Amino acid sequence: MEQKTFHADEISKSFGALQVLDNVSLAIKPGEIVGLLGPNGAGKSTFINILAGYERQDGGTVTIDGVPLDGRKPSDRAKLGIARTFQSGRLFGNLTVAENVALGALGLGNSRKVAEDRADEVLEILGIDKLSRFPAGSISHGNARLVGLARAVAAHPKYLIMDEPAAGLNEDEAPRLLHALEQVRKNIGCGMLLVEHNVKLVTEACDRVIVLATGILIFDGLPADALTNPEVKTAYLGSSGAH
Amino acid sequence: MKHGGYTKFSLQNLLGPLALLTVATYFLNGASTSLQLITQFALCYFVMVLALQVFVGNSGVLSFGHGSFALLGSYVSGMLTAPVHIKGHALALNQLWSFLVPLQVNIYVAMALSALISGAVAALTGILLMRLNGLAAGIATFALLGVTYNIFFNNKQIGPGSQALPAVPTITNTYILLLIAALSLVCVYFFNISRIGRTILATREDAMAAPALGVSIFKVRLIAFSISGVLAGLAGSMYVHVAGTFQVQDYYLDFTFMTLSMLIVGGSASIWGALVGTVLITGVGQILLMMEQNLPVFGLHITIPLGSRAVIIAVTFVAMLLWRSSGITNGREFSLDFLKKLSKKN
Repeated sequence: MEQKTFHADEISKSFGALQVLDNVSLAIKPGEIVGLLGPNGAGKSTFINILAGYERQDGGTVTIDGVPLDGRKPSDRAKLGIARTFQSGRLFGNLTVAENVALGALGLGNSRKVAEDRADEVLEILGIDKLSRFPAGSISHGNARLVGLARAVAAHPKYLIMDEPAAGLNEDEAPRLLHALEQVRKNIGCGMLLVEHNVKLVTEACDRVIVLATGILIFDGLPADALTNPEVKTAYLGSSGAH
Repeated sequence: MKHGGYTKFSLQNLLGPLALLTVATYFLNGASTSLQLITQFALCYFVMVLALQVFVGNSGVLSFGHGSFALLGSYVSGMLTAPVHIKGHALALNQLWSFLVPLQVNIYVAMALSALISGAVAALTGILLMRLNGLAAGIATFALLGVTYNIFFNNKQIGPGSQALPAVPTITNTYILLLIAALSLVCVYFFNISRIGRTILATREDAMAAPALGVSIFKVRLIAFSISGVLAGLAGSMYVHVAGTFQVQDYYLDFTFMTLSMLIVGGSASIWGALVGTVLITGVGQILLMMEQNLPVFGLHITIPLGSRAVIIAVTFVAMLLWRSSGITNGREFSLDFLKKLSKKN
């Protein structure tokens, strides 16, 4: 029987002489939220760009539910069930929030009716349905993060990659994101990879955490264990521990 | 759906430009014989600007190559409708391929064929061109224009070459041209709000984010390029049946920059912008032309040097790109919302 996982196996990548990723492996099951931590320059962005098809790895393979993704473009990967958000939001600023979210479903070939209904559904699940008529370029940074998430979720993906969704959020907005992630898990049931610097958010939201340092996977386990792991503390959290 | 949006059907978005198109045509067409001819050419330009809007406006990729499809459409329509004895004369003079001489079809059949052939050529060339982005795409489309122009200008076996093919049957009824322009407008409007139209907008707004939503930039741009090729071919066909003569030079640099100026000045992101730009550039261009020829404009004699018209339009084009790239309409479709705002103020 085919195994249902989003699987990256021994991914390597170099830019010239600089080895950015060195045999990094990861598996995400449906409904599981995996956190990816690492200091700046650890290779997190390169890793998720490889998973989403924006960059090619030098070695290793990426599969979704047993289907190899190597050589496939981002749009093809999206059709196979991989959605992603971007660190800078990348909303379509001249379109309304609802149109942005509907495009998450339209891009996969759904009809306008299906896409619009799905946009309504997702905006309601994430509690931002009141924003639907606003131009996406006019909403706050925190709301833009949630709209970016809604747009990706509207695709009803099997696996969702989130690139620092809490970056720039204030203390009031971060809990809204946490609530949104719980709602996505409950209603969509997709596997999620959460790339974050916000350790508190990751430990609260994730079932499992992996930690990258200088392109090497140094930890894969429970969030609580990551906080006490000496190697993680040294490489990422600092020897004094988490803040 | 609980929400509106820019890409959702709106009757006023559609009826606004249709009303302006119809009213402007009605009044200008009846004013004088010369204004009637200007109106007929303006309708041809409008269909051409619509063609540019479908691709340039929706994808955000600048194309200098659409004159090629207008040239092709004009050529097909001219060759299929010009009298046999005229083509026979061209055969004697220029070694025109003999199988082209007896070809004759109805003017409207010729127009339909022109549009289809131009669309097919756009699709074929688009397979190569739509893989390019930014500056490379602009240069490649410009090269396409150059190649097409030189093929038709220098090859007298396929057409009149640098000379003119006269006696092409004309459409004298302005309302037939208006009907074609209006139908084109309606088609473009529904294309723009269609699923494909919306996904092309996504590629224009953010070419990195769109593929993450499953949008193939190449595919949606190719579709838009092909449809705009159909419309450009139709515009060329209309043009030749207004001018009554096929001339390769009519569809080269002046034509390209004139129609691009209309789109940019009006606002490339909307049909309303395409129409406003066409009306404005045609109107201002005509006034400047009269000034160049020392003709009275609204009773006044103001003379400007020959060539000023082209310079002023070019400067306007650049100024718009620099300071208001979204055009006069700010890329918005026609809306009566300003009336609500006015009533609130009062």
